[in-house]
Amino acid sequence: MARYGMALDYKNCINCKACEVACKEENGVLLGADKHRIWVGVKEVEGQWPNLDIVSNTFVPSQCQHCEDAPCQEVCPTHATYYDENHVVRVNSDKCILCSYCMNACPYDARYVDDRTMTVDKCTFCSDTRLARGETTTACQNTCPTKVRTFGDLDDPESEISILLKTRDHFSLKSHLGTNPKLFYLT
Amino acid sequence: MSIKEFITSIPVNKVGIKDILKFEKSPTNLLVAALTLLFLAFFVIGVGIYLVHGHHAYGVTRQHPWGLLIAVYIFFVVSSTGLCIVGSLGDVFGFKDYEMISKRAIFGSIVTILGGFAVIAFEIGHPVRMLIYNILSPGMRSAIWWMGTLYGIYLTFMIIEFIFLLKHDMKNARIFGLIGLLVGLAAHSNLGGVFGFLNSRTISNGVFYPTYFILTAFITGIYIAFIMMGFRYKLRFPDNAKVMLTNLALIQALLLAILMFFETWKMLTGIYGGMPGRADVAEHILTTWPFWAEVIFGMLIPFLVALLTKGKNHVMMFWASLIGMVGIFFMRYDLVHDTQLKPLQMMKTREYMLPPEWVHYFPSSTEMMISLGGLGIVVLLYYVGTKVFNLDADAH
Amino acid sequence: MEVEISRRKFLQGTVAMTVVGGAVGSSLLAHEGGESALRESVTTKTSTGEAEEVPFLCGICVNKCAGFARVEEGKVTKLNPNPYFPKSRNMLCPRGNAGIQTTYDPDRLKYPMIRIGKRGEGKFKRVTWEEAYEAILNGTKDFKGLAQIIDEEKDNRSTIGYCNGEGLSKEGFEDLVGKKIGTPNYVDEVSICLETAGAGFFATIGAYPEIDPEHADYMIIAGANRAEAIITPDTQDIFKQTKGRGMKTICIDPRFTNTAAKSDKWLPVNPGTDLAYMLAMTYVVFNENLQNEAFMKKHGTGYEEYKQHILAHKYTPEWAEPICGIPAKEIYAMAREFMNAERPIFYPGRRSVFSPNDYQYRRAIAIFQALSGNLDQKGGYIYGNPIMLPPEFVNAPIYDQAQERFDTEGIAFPTIKSGSWIVFRNMILEGKNPYPVRVMMMRKHNPMMSVPNSAKTRELLMKMDLNVMIDILPSDTAMFADVILPEASYLERTSPVKSYGWLEPSIVQRRAAIKPLFETKEPEVIYKELAEKLAKPLFEISKKYDKDLQEQIKQRGEEKVFKEDGYDLADAWEMPVHEKNKEVVEKVFGEKAWETLNEKGVYYPHMEEYHKQLSPNDFQYYPKSKRFYSTQGDKLKVTCKYDHLATKGIDAMPTWHDEWKFSVPEGKFRLITGRHAQFTQSGTTNNAMLRDLIPTNFVWINKRKAEEMGIAFGDMVEVKSEVGTVQLQAYPTEKIAPNQTFMLHGFGSESKGMEMAYGNGANDAVLIKDDIEPTFGAAVMHSTNVEIRRV
Repeated sequence: MARYGMALDYKNCINCKACEVACKEENGVLLGADKHRIWVGVKEVEGQWPNLDIVSNTFVPSQCQHCEDAPCQEVCPTHATYYDENHVVRVNSDKCILCSYCMNACPYDARYVDDRTMTVDKCTFCSDTRLARGETTTACQNTCPTKVRTFGDLDDPESEISILLKTRDHFSLKSHLGTNPKLFYLT
Repeated sequence: MSIKEFITSIPVNKVGIKDILKFEKSPTNLLVAALTLLFLAFFVIGVGIYLVHGHHAYGVTRQHPWGLLIAVYIFFVVSSTGLCIVGSLGDVFGFKDYEMISKRAIFGSIVTILGGFAVIAFEIGHPVRMLIYNILSPGMRSAIWWMGTLYGIYLTFMIIEFIFLLKHDMKNARIFGLIGLLVGLAAHSNLGGVFGFLNSRTISNGVFYPTYFILTAFITGIYIAFIMMGFRYKLRFPDNAKVMLTNLALIQALLLAILMFFETWKMLTGIYGGMPGRADVAEHILTTWPFWAEVIFGMLIPFLVALLTKGKNHVMMFWASLIGMVGIFFMRYDLVHDTQLKPLQMMKTREYMLPPEWVHYFPSSTEMMISLGGLGIVVLLYYVGTKVFNLDADAH
Repeated sequence: MEVEISRRKFLQGTVAMTVVGGAVGSSLLAHEGGESALRESVTTKTSTGEAEEVPFLCGICVNKCAGFARVEEGKVTKLNPNPYFPKSRNMLCPRGNAGIQTTYDPDRLKYPMIRIGKRGEGKFKRVTWEEAYEAILNGTKDFKGLAQIIDEEKDNRSTIGYCNGEGLSKEGFEDLVGKKIGTPNYVDEVSICLETAGAGFFATIGAYPEIDPEHADYMIIAGANRAEAIITPDTQDIFKQTKGRGMKTICIDPRFTNTAAKSDKWLPVNPGTDLAYMLAMTYVVFNENLQNEAFMKKHGTGYEEYKQHILAHKYTPEWAEPICGIPAKEIYAMAREFMNAERPIFYPGRRSVFSPNDYQYRRAIAIFQALSGNLDQKGGYIYGNPIMLPPEFVNAPIYDQAQERFDTEGIAFPTIKSGSWIVFRNMILEGKNPYPVRVMMMRKHNPMMSVPNSAKTRELLMKMDLNVMIDILPSDTAMFADVILPEASYLERTSPVKSYGWLEPSIVQRRAAIKPLFETKEPEVIYKELAEKLAKPLFEISKKYDKDLQEQIKQRGEEKVFKEDGYDLADAWEMPVHEKNKEVVEKVFGEKAWETLNEKGVYYPHMEEYHKQLSPNDFQYYPKSKRFYSTQGDKLKVTCKYDHLATKGIDAMPTWHDEWKFSVPEGKFRLITGRHAQFTQSGTTNNAMLRDLIPTNFVWINKRKAEEMGIAFGDMVEVKSEVGTVQLQAYPTEKIAPNQTFMLHGFGSESKGMEMAYGNGANDAVLIKDDIEPTFGAAVMHSTNVEIRRV
């Protein structure tokens, strides 16, 4: 029983996409432009050569935000999307009818269709792979060259992530939507 | 009365296949028959491709998961709700002038919703699973759950109402008709809610769609009423029909005026203030041709025809209603597409791509075939209904 | 059986490693959605059951990061980083993670093959290993074998040329062909890569140093793209400090790279003119007396002369500005900030040679760094204390008839070992070789795509009597082979133990995670078996022509000479790699060390005591007090003036020559090359996972320029240089200057054996002119102008 979240020291991110590949290899994610569970977003640099706006070109790793109040979970007609015992937003593929409502409701574009099961798939925080084996990191965190990610239990005041969030400024994506994401971007 | 007796006492015409194949071989009829058969063939082919390739056969993507089939489903269920409203005018609310269309309209509402279900069954990835888990693990906070469940109940009540109408049991017809209408309106506004609840889709979020759906359903119902009556009387309307159609045309003009008023304010409030995700989308919508198809065919032309002829030129209204239905189709397509126009993730995820701009979607041939197939199913069922049942008002 | 390398045939032979279901299910998408749908279903979800974790060393690029391969039921399902290796800092990059896809690539070379069609046509037949070795020795009806060729050349072993790619089994191949078979005509990646960088630093400050960004507070990173061309541990360490977080970072690069994006300032420079701002910064330092005079007085040689040289030439920032394109005020600022910083680092860089003045540019950097005094200390350049492994002895025969290498034309200081690819190739093509070169023995090297001017490489390969290729994929170069020997990929082989790191040194061992797939073999096994096959017959030829050998045999008897003088070619591989590693490590570090190494993949003295996990992400490898920050003391020497160079007409001190000015004729573009983090040269071009991230290469054109030319994103354009023409898609972007263009290296394969790579994008080696720099004859990559037009 934990409340898992992830803090991202996103300024460290060099957009190498090791996380995306590690995620795919760990979790058996299909290839294809639309099939990623996690990704690195790049904001195109503004300005004209040679006067480019260096701060406009940011790299923002993103994925399912594991919202405390997840729109995807609310809109699911069959409870296929649920919070597991660790507050991770999961999909029960046996119950998913592929109405795609969650894909439209998720403000973060975090969901896609897995062609093998023809159900909606998303980041699981490696719950059914690494965490199930007793490991304490997700594949994306573990492999990151510049150590952008810290995964951990938000309910444990001693956990690295809790300490980070207590000591560093951070923000969440689209927080105005009231989704209460459990991904935190450290500034 | 046992259930068996109840069922056997429903008045139906004894018709065989030969009777069904028998119709006046006018060019119009032959054309409609040929198109219907073609559409049914499309349906079989489209479903076949879908069964082999799944959603890959569709133009839907991660960014645009709802495509043409959702729009066509909405098109049919809106038609159904609209016909239910039109049908209720006579037998639920007791307006005598409209009793002559009640049975036809209620039957129409049944076949259109069946058409809608036939289409959505191939859009929902796992329809059978849906039936099971809708009951075993109901998602009560989901507008889709309410919409689906209520439409299921609605269909049941519509069938019961229709049976009582056939049996000329007006009291029971009224009771089930009223419940059916209320459930239908609830279901339909929930369909609006499916979009209205989307917090992240600022362009669709809010009260507009749930109410607008009821309004446009009524409008759609009246368009179809004109079309059904036009075919029924081959555009040579008897006097009692003329009274009703004139009234309907005037109601339609009023409804269209309200709709245009709504629509104008929706776009104005959408654009005003420049709120990201709403203003930019609204402005973009104004530059897309399906929006203008919706406005011109679905609203302006029928409105002007009704207004300029004061609702008295029923033949023109028939043609205006056909055009109106084309507009209504675009209205449904636009509402689905426009909701998904703006990507929720606006960053590049690969070096060699353009930054996400407007989400592109174009229906695949499979989607088009299944959609036209839905129309074929509706026309076929309706045609068979005209043979099997007496859809005209019973003589008093 | 006749085997034509085509996609279909290759797939037929594929074991069910790729789940074909996914690929078939998505075939419709393949038509509608383009090529990215190819091989969708190649990953395996890791199980929660039993698995073995085998320590391996990544081989997908040069870095050799350490990892653990998760092996489930004989299949590698995941590669995880190894937290014990100081160099790779518990990480695997995207390519490292995607390494599985290289091992399980359905297009892999699976069994030995012999050419049956015309050379280069791609028609091969499958043979046994014995048949392949036999074909190398004695040829077939289609090509001559080694025995005949060497006999015809009267035992001049130098008739064999050989080339080899970077990797842990590289030395073994050099031992086999160079030392054992006995030819000096070796070319490898050095002369098409960083030769002048390493040599420039070495000549100037005695090492190609490591750096310590952790304690640095200022960094200039010029022409090195560490965010995309990942070098460990620099990449990991640098980008935790940039963006106002402790280390002000200035990126100098013609392109706006990801490194530029992560820096505090980006200064675009004209390609090939870096030496100009380097001299100007030095000028500012001397002019304003900002240097650590005491340090230079103590350690510098020719220091005063260098100072006078710089000041006398008036290399002012105002002089440099029009040459390099960097504003004078920025040059002033950099020079002052650098010298005023506590711990400044001018990043030593690691990349190909871009300009003819690269050697002098590197020398100028090294001297500039020395002017700050920040050498051999915390936060500066690090010399460290690498762990030395005992040198390996190979009993190499001396062939009297073998001749010296000849690729020296236009080179001041030809390197004896790895030569110059371009000069070697071109001299043969121009008939300037003093004796015939008739054989190319090749391994893990793809000169068709890596050596500038592919047309000439093709000509060279066509000219040979015998081409042998050892590799894992049917590369463009493999298509020109007569005999192909399939090698085990790095997950299928144990490699010789290796030492890495100077600041935090360690030794590492790659252990085979799985047995070699198909009929492939570990390289060392191939070396041994080939050596066994060749030893006696080649010895017989030597006996015929080698007077010294005849004399020796007369004195000591044939058997003794054969054994003792190294003619028994296979004696270098008597022990399997794993056993040899054990022997070496146990002998030097003890049994416990071997256990640790074998289990954890890494070993260094006091590892148990030093190695600690500090947080979920951070590990301590050495406590700071035990790291080798300062090791040189008085040995430190800064060679400002290197008189030896002048003896061969090379400037003894970095000097600017106007012939290096950057200019592009109107309507043309200067072609520059580089890297993205998801791609390692042509070797990863067929990797399904990486192809998913970078489906193809594009040619960058300045956005406004492209608009002028009517070119939009994705438009097919023709790019033409004086040596070749290619077609690829356009990428209009403001990240490049209007008179320059960039394309990612490694695409545009012409080998039909590689389904994903074939015909995808464009090969820059086709376009790049075969220019060399004058010191070592290294290839100059950024001297080619191209025309671009829409097609």
